[in-house]
Amino acid sequence: MDLIGLYPTWYEPGIGSGYVIAIIATIHVLFSHTAVGAALLFTYLAYLGYRDDRPELIDFIKKYGMFLLVFSYILGSITGPGIWYSTTVGSPRGISALIHNFVWKWATEWVFFVIEVVGVYMMVYLVGKVDKATYLRIAITFGLASFATMLAIVGILSFMMEPGMPEWTEKGGYLLGFYGDNTFAQLAIRSMFMLTITAVVGGIVVAGLKDQVFKTWLARRLAVLGIVTATIGMLLYPWYLSTLPAQAQIVMENRIPAYYSTAILSVLLATIAYFVFTLIKPRMLTASIAGFATLAILILGLFPGETIRESARKPYVAGEYLYSNQVIGKDVPGMTIKSEIPTLEKVGFTHASVFWPETQREITPQNAAEVGRSLAIAACSNCHSLSPTGIRPIASYFGGMTDIPRIQNYLIGALSTGNTMYMPKIPLKEKEAEALALYLASLADPTVVAKFVDEKTRAAEADAVKAAPSKPVAVSMANPLHTGSKE
Amino acid sequence: MDASALYALRDPLGVPAAPIIFLILGVLTWALHIAAVHILLGASGLTLTGALSKNPHWRRLADAMIGTAKVALSVAIVLGVAPLLFVQVVYDPFWYTSNVLSAWWVIGFIVFLIIGSLALFIFYGLNQSMKSGAKTRCPGSLIAAIAFFLVVGFIMHALSVQMLHPEKWMAWYAPGGIIDASGRSLHEYNFWRFGFFISLSVPVIGLWMIAYRRYIMGRTQEDSGYLDFLRSLSMKLIPIGGVISLVLLAGWMMTLPANVAGFATGIWPASTAAILLLAVALPFVLAKKLDQGYWGFAPFAFGAVALIVVAVMREMLRWVTLFGVHGYNALDYKLHMDWYSTLMFFLTFGVIGGGVLAYLLTVAWKAGQTKGVYTASPMVNRMGTLGISLLGIWIIQYFVIGLWVAYAG
Ligand code: HEM
Repeated sequence: MDLIGLYPTWYEPGIGSGYVIAIIATIHVLFSHTAVGAALLFTYLAYLGYRDDRPELIDFIKKYGMFLLVFSYILGSITGPGIWYSTTVGSPRGISALIHNFVWKWATEWVFFVIEVVGVYMMVYLVGKVDKATYLRIAITFGLASFATMLAIVGILSFMMEPGMPEWTEKGGYLLGFYGDNTFAQLAIRSMFMLTITAVVGGIVVAGLKDQVFKTWLARRLAVLGIVTATIGMLLYPWYLSTLPAQAQIVMENRIPAYYSTAILSVLLATIAYFVFTLIKPRMLTASIAGFATLAILILGLFPGETIRESARKPYVAGEYLYSNQVIGKDVPGMTIKSEIPTLEKVGFTHASVFWPETQREITPQNAAEVGRSLAIAACSNCHSLSPTGIRPIASYFGGMTDIPRIQNYLIGALSTGNTMYMPKIPLKEKEAEALALYLASLADPTVVAKFVDEKTRAAEADAVKAAPSKPVAVSMANPLHTGSKE
Repeated sequence: MDASALYALRDPLGVPAAPIIFLILGVLTWALHIAAVHILLGASGLTLTGALSKNPHWRRLADAMIGTAKVALSVAIVLGVAPLLFVQVVYDPFWYTSNVLSAWWVIGFIVFLIIGSLALFIFYGLNQSMKSGAKTRCPGSLIAAIAFFLVVGFIMHALSVQMLHPEKWMAWYAPGGIIDASGRSLHEYNFWRFGFFISLSVPVIGLWMIAYRRYIMGRTQEDSGYLDFLRSLSMKLIPIGGVISLVLLAGWMMTLPANVAGFATGIWPASTAAILLLAVALPFVLAKKLDQGYWGFAPFAFGAVALIVVAVMREMLRWVTLFGVHGYNALDYKLHMDWYSTLMFFLTFGVIGGGVLAYLLTVAWKAGQTKGVYTASPMVNRMGTLGISLLGIWIIQYFVIGLWVAYAG
């Protein structure tokens, strides 16, 4: 049987599932990094409090620790599975690829996660209730477990971009999938970023300190930490870029708006400027300034960052073999995976898809527009909104065109051949391409559907011969977004 | 949807260890998850009752239970992640389809859980001194929290039930042959089943209170009026809640779809009912002994075992439905054995997880029973140092192996 395991598609017409995922991811990174940052700082304060015997520090932790730690921890730990759930519905086979390759790594991360959660409550509740050495042991245990969760997850995140080592494709296996240049580059950058966040979030905490001398001292330390780690992070960025697959490099050069990198750079410079300010004028630091800085840095810095990561791995979502539209686009002999492209070329989406309405398996003039819509949902909507709003609206790429044969030619010439660099190869049978073209044309002018049905029926009546499909011809559409060839 | 379609949906990557392992871990961790959920819901319910009462014992209980609820929430989330992982390893065709078909609800799950948690925190923040008899502030926030938790549980419930109906998926995805990709509906649920899982909160929190009572008896000069109050309250909640749960279980079994109706009269529902009855009876059998030694903790421990049986029954129903009716065998998943990651997990879980948690929980337990500052014994300190060393070793091996693979291999 020529079935390929495509799941139903979730298509969100308003903002697009891509944005839903990006929003949840950004919120999660915000809270989880805040939580880790705050935890590191509290550990340090507890250490000072115990070492120098300063009960006011311990009181301070009791007062704010609960709020900052537990609050950001709970939200971090809800939005974590949140990302997982949102990718599940946005890209089920993408998350499945990560799970099936790395299930034991996720499970290992979970062990550290359990330790972390127990640890965070103990740090909050036991401050002042256990002896100094015990408290520090708990704090160190917590810190190491937190770091270990990051270690466990970072290779999985890298795999979304590319397998750790290129040999993975031939040999398979967990180690080659997990470890590689990109894994370590990401780890280095994330660690720096986490410390920068510690310094920003720390501002909120420091602002609440009563003792002015101590406040100045701590604010300055944090400022130095922030400046150093932000700078190192920035210096590491070229290394990170150099570990990206060649494909991603081209995509980044061509497809990411120029202002994105400027935006990220400005955020970094602004961050450093902010720390310089707190270094010079530590007493001016108030909770609202620090809170605002935290939000601004995270949102302005993270959202473009997440978007770049999402765009740069196009046309793949995982392991450089699974396309964004959930089709397996390459053989992976190491895991005995076969590309699904030949099956699609042979029988088309209409016959290969598990979830396909039976009434739409055979294309007729009457159901063509509906089949076209189903095809658009299955093959395109992962990256293109089918409505005027949302992520990369598909209609906008055709500039109101209603010439069905022309669109059909483009689909066959540019998509079925895989000639569009950052898009998956999307094999379409003649009639499927026509149906999809009809649907795309109908987005600009809904009346084309009736005309199409009418013409086809009349032609059929005239000589009982189906309309001859036009031959695929080389495409040269005046569409700046669909140029570029795959070499 | 026939078996060949279900098999086609499977991930071609296969699984890195025998599928049965994932199935078993899924059942065990789900039992823990649902236990935490029961404590969360039960403790929130008691807090609400106490917060609205003038009785000083009830107020004191509310004060203790809001703390329990807060921690149970974290624990329920952490323990929910594990079955979430394992269910999609061997049941991916079902889990993913069910999720995508109700995508907005899956997103809503997160949003509602966040709102519920914030509401719980607001209530907690506003009511720091319930036991001193201060007027309860904003009980509505706690009611909202409980309501949102129930919605969250209901979404999980619907997702779990939708998995079991491959024959209906196409009608949900493309009603009348037209694809509806909006993911806006929950398609299938069974109030008996949901009610059963939720109602278990009542007996479980009763068993938990017996343990809580035994724990605070360890402190000196505990108020005996309060201890008696705890005892009589839990001895009421356990049997009443137990009976309600059994009625709901029976209702669930009687409303099973026709093609698995035979499951109701089989061994699993009977064993489940039997062990639940035993769990309800145990505190009454132990009676006076509950105050001696560690016996006070036995009913809850036995309750946890009973929940494992509940989890096994739930899994067997899934097996009977998916294998028996639809021909999908979760155990014949393609195997790509990966020894390193498999062994590494079990080592991490057993040695590091076990060792470090033993240390942390020992300290927490002892500190809770000590008035003033708890000073750890040398033995406990050694446990702590060992835990830290193990974590350190894990981190070192991560880098040694990783750098070797990436740069030397
Ligand atoms: C207040 C919060 C929660 C409540 C009240 C709750 C309640 C429930 C209930 C009643 C079920 C059984 C449904 C059925 O079989 O009919 C369930 C299953 C499940 N829950 Fe939760 N839950 C909560 C939070 C979570 C969280 C945060 C996660 C994950 C991060 C989670 C993961 C799961 C999973 C994966 C299952 C199904 C497992 C399977 O089918 O094998 N739950 N939950």
